[in-house]
Amino acid sequence: MTEQGNSDVILEVKDLKKYFPIKAGLLQRTVAQVKAVDGVNFSLRKGSTMGLVGESGCGKTTVGRTVLRLHGKTGGDILFHGQEVHTLDKKTLRSLRPRMQIIFQDPYSSLSPRLPVGEIIGEAPREHGITNKDNHNRHIDKIMSDCGLQPYHKDRYPHEFSGGQRQRICIARALALNPEFVVCDEPVSALDVSIQAQIINLLMDLQKEYGLTYLFISHDLSVVEHISDTVGVMYLGNIVEYGSKEDIFKSPYHPYTRALFSAIPIPDPTVKMNRVILEGDIPSPANPPSGCKFHTRCRDCMEKCKTEEPVPVEMAPGHTVVCHLYNS
Amino acid sequence: MDPNQENQHMSASVALDDEQRIRVLSPGMLVFKRFVRNKLAITGAVIVIFMFAFSFIGGLVNPHGQTEVFRHYQPFVKEYAAAAFTDQYRFTPVPGRTLSQNTQNAFNVAAARNAESFSADGETFMIEVMGEDFYLIEELVPFAKVTSVRGQLVASPLDGHTIPDGFTSAIDSAIKAGRELFEAGGDKYAYIIDGREYAVFTGTPVCVVVKKVFDLPPDSPALSYHFVMNAMLAFQGGDPSFEAEGQTYTFDRNDGGAEIYGQDGLVAVMSPLAIKEYQPGEVMTLEFKAAVAEAIAEGTRYFELIEDGEVVEYTLEDQPNQWVIRKEMDTYLIKTYGPPSLEHWLGTDANGMDVLTRLMYGGRISITIGFVVVLIEMFIGIILGGIAGYFGKWVDNLIMRIVDIFNCIPTFPLYIILGASLDQFGVDPTLRIYYLMLIIGLLGWPGIARMVRGQILSLREQEFMVAAEATGLRVPRRIFRHLIPNVIPQLIVISTMTLGGIIITEATLSFLGLGVRYPLASWGNMVTNVNDPYIMITYLNTWVPAGMLILITVLGFNFIGDGLRDAFDPKMKR
Repeated sequence: MTEQGNSDVILEVKDLKKYFPIKAGLLQRTVAQVKAVDGVNFSLRKGSTMGLVGESGCGKTTVGRTVLRLHGKTGGDILFHGQEVHTLDKKTLRSLRPRMQIIFQDPYSSLSPRLPVGEIIGEAPREHGITNKDNHNRHIDKIMSDCGLQPYHKDRYPHEFSGGQRQRICIARALALNPEFVVCDEPVSALDVSIQAQIINLLMDLQKEYGLTYLFISHDLSVVEHISDTVGVMYLGNIVEYGSKEDIFKSPYHPYTRALFSAIPIPDPTVKMNRVILEGDIPSPANPPSGCKFHTRCRDCMEKCKTEEPVPVEMAPGHTVVCHLYNS
Repeated sequence: MDPNQENQHMSASVALDDEQRIRVLSPGMLVFKRFVRNKLAITGAVIVIFMFAFSFIGGLVNPHGQTEVFRHYQPFVKEYAAAAFTDQYRFTPVPGRTLSQNTQNAFNVAAARNAESFSADGETFMIEVMGEDFYLIEELVPFAKVTSVRGQLVASPLDGHTIPDGFTSAIDSAIKAGRELFEAGGDKYAYIIDGREYAVFTGTPVCVVVKKVFDLPPDSPALSYHFVMNAMLAFQGGDPSFEAEGQTYTFDRNDGGAEIYGQDGLVAVMSPLAIKEYQPGEVMTLEFKAAVAEAIAEGTRYFELIEDGEVVEYTLEDQPNQWVIRKEMDTYLIKTYGPPSLEHWLGTDANGMDVLTRLMYGGRISITIGFVVVLIEMFIGIILGGIAGYFGKWVDNLIMRIVDIFNCIPTFPLYIILGASLDQFGVDPTLRIYYLMLIIGLLGWPGIARMVRGQILSLREQEFMVAAEATGLRVPRRIFRHLIPNVIPQLIVISTMTLGGIIITEATLSFLGLGVRYPLASWGNMVTNVNDPYIMITYLNTWVPAGMLILITVLGFNFIGDGLRDAFDPKMKR
């Protein structure tokens, strides 16, 4: 499915940090920082899909948006084709925008209710000069039909569409710019299961057709398993385990990954599930635990975990785990 | 696998069957459809359209102006003239002479003392008594020099005069008697001792003085010396007629005066009465004056005259020293509190102005003020609210604190103070309207700014705005194509709702006398009539329509606002 042989890296993220300040008081002084992303490393090869999984609030979406420079970063590097995205001047950034796109989670709020669909999809390509007067309509029609929309939908407004159709519109809007890299920010979590499958298949078909690279953010492990080549598991702003899909799903090392995978429902009532129950809530990212951030909920917590921050350990080629268990 | 085939397969499986849906409606059309379906909103729209037509087209079609005062004639017994016995001498100089005021005054004094001569302005005049209150003023002209030659008086004439018979004996006896005046040959002479000589003067007539009034037809030239002289002489002598300047005039006498008829009828009325009109500019006919003189002479207190083919009745009333003559006159009156009629459908108000016309012009002002103020509020509100919402941070903080300050200002006391200051500076009523718009507008924007700021703040975080950024659209395009169109519905709704409120504010201010001022009309100041309970109850037509129009218009705008709100946001429907 993916072109494994192609090894050129399209996106490299090094030690990415994004802190959100908490302001309080009359003078709006920064009293604390929410460490939404606190040192994330990964790289994406052209034409591959990386799944980013984790609980709500672990910083997946923030990674996605920071990579696209939809808000600033606190530290680290984001190299798109070896070019730092966050230091580009406005003009260069604008010309870079079409090459990296995003599909949002909520197909309802991500479409302006006052614009017809044709305009939503076609506005940006026209503005960027990707299409001209002659081929504009053809281009939009092609993208729309690729995304399962009919050309006559162009004159309609978002409110006339169902959730699945709206998500197709969002996908069409992103793809109309001929991007190389698309951040899929939980694109199917707002949809029901049958539509989810349609959308996922559509994304995979489009990937094949256009040679896209996806950063697929989701909390739904089965979806990630279906679409991804590599998977990163995030917990409280860090990637705790990173590796190819096969490695991670076959042999998860990190206790958190194990706990997550044990929660995947198996549609067979006779199978006895060996569930790892995580206790407690995810700690506040404004005040993360010391040492290993997971130690407050970890079954295998050691003394060391409470004080020392673990470092990544390579268990297999391309499969790293950040845990003291494997540090010896 | 053939990708094309797969694509087709996929499209067929996922495309929803909505080919049947033919009509495609934009959000605007949807709103319009929902609005039209709302009966209350349509009622409001009809009301507002009617008000616009009434105020703006009505004002054009209506022939009257808003400050036009209507008057009408009403028969009214009124003082028309007054008559009194004259106590003043009237001077009629000979042709080519005028008599100075000094001379006239000097004569009055001399006549009162029965003096025979008087001097004024360095000249000496002789007074010849011709009859009762009838004098002739003569100028002294050097006549002769008289010298005494050995006890014998010799007169030598001057400038072509001839010495009449018995002249020397007459002067001789006068000198001996010590009199300064003497007569000879029917003429009067006076002498002055000049050294050893006597300078003798004779008189030439300068002016006839009578204590009678010669009334003439309007715009006729003053009577000549000869006419007055001859008429008086004839009147005194009891003659039935006299001649003057080749024409014969006849008298129709009454007690103390006479009507003088020429060949063409009544020429003048001679009477001891001075008749003056009551209203300046009123022109009295000679016939009227004759009738007044006759009535007073005969002692009657009523007479009739035929004027322009109609019988006009006059009554006289004795008052100390004068008579007052009254007649029924058409008086030009201001039509105050006229009842509704064909000409004035809603009657007229306290100032005689047409109520319907004022309603039209008042509506213009009220609606215009409403719109202009909303525009001002929108302009400031959108800009400041937009800046606060889009840029956030300290800008937002600053602007919102300004808004807070404005919200703390008690508006009504401020309106009253500002209205009073406008009075103090004596601002013109038309200019005042503009100030009023500015004042209301400048105090009203914070609500709108707050709303816009809130809207933009929430829209800015919407995912479609993030998407617009992600697709690399320029900032102006993001603001004007994605942000603003989404605020407009709320703006339209809030401005429609505000409009009604502003019309009420304007009406209240005008009612209190702080807004639109007389003579300009506004619905508010038309209701001011209710200050007087009597007028409130009696002349409902002057204020009820204005009140009703305020009510209906505000109701109309509010209906539209409600309708728009429901149409823009169907989920809001209760």
